[in-house]
Formats: sequence, structure tokens, C-alpha cells
Amino acid sequence: MIFEGTDQVRDAVRHVLGDVLGIPAERAAGFNDTTPLFGALPELDSMAVAGVLTEIEDRLGITIEDDEVDADMMETFGSLVDFVARKALG
Amino acid sequence: MVVIAAALFEEANRTRAFTVAIMRGLAARGVASALPDLPGTNESLVPTERARLGGWRAAFAASVGGRRAVGFALRGGALLDGEADLIARCHFSPVPGAALVRDLKRTRLVGAREGGEPLAPDALLPPGPPVELAGNHLARELLAELETAEPSPANRVLRLDGDARPCDRSFAGRALWRASEPGVDADLADALADDLAGWARQCGG
Repeated sequence: MIFEGTDQVRDAVRHVLGDVLGIPAERAAGFNDTTPLFGALPELDSMAVAGVLTEIEDRLGITIEDDEVDADMMETFGSLVDFVARKALG
Repeated sequence: MVVIAAALFEEANRTRAFTVAIMRGLAARGVASALPDLPGTNESLVPTERARLGGWRAAFAASVGGRRAVGFALRGGALLDGEADLIARCHFSPVPGAALVRDLKRTRLVGAREGGEPLAPDALLPPGPPVELAGNHLARELLAELETAEPSPANRVLRLDGDARPCDRSFAGRALWRASEPGVDADLADALADDLAGWARQCGG
């Protein structure tokens, strides 16, 4: 899949969080760039983080290296979208 | 009949109810199925840390025995059915062993950043004691074997919509094996059971 802009990446990340964490669509739709994720979402434990990252890799056709995985990247919805957009949009 | 190779590790837990739903769907269509517990999984008396890839493959082959059966493997189960005497093999979302190991390692990496024990680069390589990954005590030898394991050649490959890898048919549905609260996805289970029942009959299983 070709991603043309950050908005598309944002939607894709929103869908992954919804699907992997079982978050209802209306709640996921309310996520904005400052919505805290890691440490704030009870659904997002370390096992779930692995699922989210792998699903993002599969859907967006990117590879996330082990040394890129850190708490900062998952701190907020905005930081995760930024990270993925840098990877997906080059 | 259909003999099923379940997904592996945490993915097995997340897809257990889903796999059973597929079996019920097969039964409703008059097709028998079996879901063997491999050594070190579920009710097996073998400790999980003694599980090895070769042992799993041999055990799966033994569970098929001389039955006239087709195989259905989910995810990592596709790494295990190659030695079984099956009429034909169908794989749902098959995954290379290296991808499974990567997922297990990633869980541990994220855990380390939450304050857990960090993972040294050589911590998973044999020789050495079993390692705990995502709640399983696993032999380093098993992890090393999985790193190079590929799905066996399949007669039919099914995937989820949106998965770009080649397949014979794709289905709408969620990747339950990644979900923290997977549920069952009854529609997907029913669609897979329908496909599988028709295919098994065609193959003469």
C-alpha cells in the first residue's frame, strides 16, 4: 500500500490500535496527537505493544528495528504517528 | 477429516476459541476434525522448555497416523505439518519462524523498557538455560530452530484481506492472534469452515 500523507498514516495507526487492543471505533476516533498511550492505556501492556508494532509493519509495509522500540515512541498517539509516518513516507 | 496444527505460543492462546469455532463449523458441515496437543502445549505432560521443533513435527505426524486426512494449519502451525502423511495441506496466514521469534523478543524488549530484565544480544542463543519469553519457558535450541523454519509447501493458502503476500483466497476479518482481547470473530470462523469443508471434500479428505 502506498501512503500519500500523514493523515492516511494516522488513520492506519488508529485502525491498528482499535483492532489489536479491542478499542471501540468511537473511542479510537477521539484519539488526538496528545492522547497518552503507553502507561496510560490499560490495554497497552508489553505483549500488546509487540502486537501493535508487528501489525503496523504488516499493514504499512515498513520494518521497525529493535533498537527503535522505546517508550518515547509510544508515549502519545501523535508520537507514534510521527514515528510511523517518518518510516512510511520516507 | 481435518487435522489441525494450532498457532504457537501466545498466538495459540489468542486463537484457541477461534480455532474451536472453526471445528464446530466443520462439524456442522459434516466434516470431522482433530486438534492435537503437541508436546509442551496445553494438557501435554512435557514441560514447555523441553519442546523442540523436530519433536513437534514428529508428534503432529504421529497424530495424523494412517488416517485419510487433510491438514489445516494456522500461523506458526504451518511450520509443523511437513512430515505428516496428509492428502493435502491448507494454511491460514502462515508465518515464518523468524517472525514468531522476533515477536517474542519484541515483547521482552518492551518489557525491559518498562523496568523488567534487559535482554542481552546473545541471551537467546544456545547453549544455556531456557529463556522466558512472553510467559513461556523456551529452550534456546527451539528458538534457534524456529529462526530458520519456513512453512511447509501448502496446496491452499488463505489470508486476511489487506495482507499483500500471495494466497489462493483472502477473507475479511481481524488478526485475532495479535489482539489483546481477541474474542472469536464468528463470521471469519464460519467463512473459513465453509471454505475448508468444501476443499476437504474436493481433496477426498
